Amino acid sequence: MDSKLTTELTDLFEGKLSREMRLYLDTCARCGICIDACHVYASMPEIRYSAVARAETIRKLFRRYFRFEGKLFPGLGEVTDFSDEVMEKVNETAFTCTGCRRCMTYCPFGIDTQMIQSIAKALLIGADREPKILSMLADMSIAKKETIEDSKENFELAMKNLEVEVIEKWRQSAPDQAIPVGNKDADILYVALAGKHSIVPAAAIMNAANEKWSLSYFEAVNFGAFVGNPEKTQIIAQRIIEEAVNLGVREVVICECGTAYRVMKYMTGDHPFEVISFVELIDRYLETDRIKIRKSDTPITYHDPCQLARNGGVIEQPRRILRRFTSRFTEMTPHSGDNWCCGGGGGLVAAGDKGFRMSSAKVKADQVKATNTEVLCTACENCHTQLSDLNEHYKVGTKVEFLSGLIADALE
Amino acid sequence: MVNTINYVIMVPMVYLAVAVFVIGVCARMLSIWRAPRHRAPLRLYPVSRAPGLRALWDTFAMPQVRKHDPRFWFWLILYHLAFLVLILGHLDLLPGINLMPADSPHMLGWGAAGVVVTIALFCFLIRRFRPPVRDISTLGDYLLLMLLLFLCLTGDIISWSNSWNQDDGGFVLGKEEFGAYLQSLLGFSFEDPLEILEHSHYVVLVIHVFLANLFLMVFPFTKLTHTFLAAPINRLRRG
Repeated sequence: MDSKLTTELTDLFEGKLSREMRLYLDTCARCGICIDACHVYASMPEIRYSAVARAETIRKLFRRYFRFEGKLFPGLGEVTDFSDEVMEKVNETAFTCTGCRRCMTYCPFGIDTQMIQSIAKALLIGADREPKILSMLADMSIAKKETIEDSKENFELAMKNLEVEVIEKWRQSAPDQAIPVGNKDADILYVALAGKHSIVPAAAIMNAANEKWSLSYFEAVNFGAFVGNPEKTQIIAQRIIEEAVNLGVREVVICECGTAYRVMKYMTGDHPFEVISFVELIDRYLETDRIKIRKSDTPITYHDPCQLARNGGVIEQPRRILRRFTSRFTEMTPHSGDNWCCGGGGGLVAAGDKGFRMSSAKVKADQVKATNTEVLCTACENCHTQLSDLNEHYKVGTKVEFLSGLIADALE
Repeated sequence: MVNTINYVIMVPMVYLAVAVFVIGVCARMLSIWRAPRHRAPLRLYPVSRAPGLRALWDTFAMPQVRKHDPRFWFWLILYHLAFLVLILGHLDLLPGINLMPADSPHMLGWGAAGVVVTIALFCFLIRRFRPPVRDISTLGDYLLLMLLLFLCLTGDIISWSNSWNQDDGGFVLGKEEFGAYLQSLLGFSFEDPLEILEHSHYVVLVIHVFLANLFLMVFPFTKLTHTFLAAPINRLRRG
């Protein structure tokens, strides 16, 4: 690796060294408690898939370029230079980690491996080695902002066509405009994903609650966050922030996408509106009797999306909803903040490599199997895709459903 | 020649070690606290009602370790408690501090704290030689553990046998003698401690002080800084 690139990467690294990052990089005692926390290690017990080994790849570079002792005593095995081989390792460490932060619940210090991986992702972008599909998708999201005026008409037409489905399925609660777009009277801006499964049930539920809402022109997913580019993350989020400000809504409701929710709520600064997840909105409607649902006796379990539950705090709401929905709700073991990651987050679903996703999440498939329930419900697009793939791959024999889909179908 | 080396270890090197420790720790803390803050919260959910207290609990009681490796937790807690007793015991040797009576032949902990720390360190070393911890360990991890182990072993020898002289009627070195040595260091008198501590097996004491000096000198540049960083980092997790 030439010295120019090494200098550029060192500068990029330095740019990530916030106070918190320095604490995370300086504190690890290599006690190994975190090893068993990772679903990848639990499914494929190789030390490179442990949180500590992943972080150590980055720490060795930190000590080499930013620590006195790393320069003075390189022979103690705690430093490494930038090289092609090391960058391969950085790539592996970054994109075999879903950023679920389960290891943080094991670590006696609470070291945030996802945060350390943000250095790995920044270095990969700097070395032009990041998964190109993620960068491309992020760029497409940014380009959409620039061409939005040209594409609005087509978008509105597509939504008009979808309205038929909303009205067909939930006729009694559909208003004149079943999927309002650009609604200046809206209290809520609902940000969906590109796909009707993310729009139609949500529209039915909000219409049933007589909500004043508007559908965002933009998709919630933030590929900037997946690829690890903070600038692109902010630009992608900013499209929605500007739209919400222009409409003057009180709340921005993020669809069932854990990363989109966490990015918008916690990682894009203060906003003149509240950010909530669609799960929280359903819970509020049910708690205040704005919607009513039929109770079933279907055996259901719930998968906590990491970014929504452990990293977002939406833990009790889906449980309250499901207990209203079914008399046979079963928890997984472990669950809530301790839940096993599904193995699809961090851009892994979009980046491909289904083989790795399946091998690395066997522990999740086993966990679902052990509940012996008919329906596995979740509230995140990535989790839904990954769990569906696991269901098929490991022949779990369950039905994977979105929480919003279940509730929409049960509307009275 | 040997006397000169002993003197260098027992007097000038102590000053050097303390200086490196203080400057090194301050420099490391400054490098952390002068860095810009991260914008987004880093807490985990569910959140605690008293995040500050929860962070202190995480730091000192290590419930995560207890949950996932109870045996390791047992030794970790014993090790840290006994190490605290050892620090207090050494501070007690300073003139004017009397956690133990001034004429006591025993250090605080009666020598047991050192033995507990030694056994715990031995357990940590064995643990580090076994997979999967072995697979994440570096040469530095082993060297640091060995340094601590030998530091404590020589301390144990001083506690349990070196201070005892049958011919002189029992304990010949106690708080008074060690206190006099520390007093001479604090007073920058540059006296040769051999004159104060001549009854002891002096070489063991010199090795102990040498290892203690090394410990202080490497402290700021190793993971030992978790002593100061564990609480603030745990605070991040609790929000």
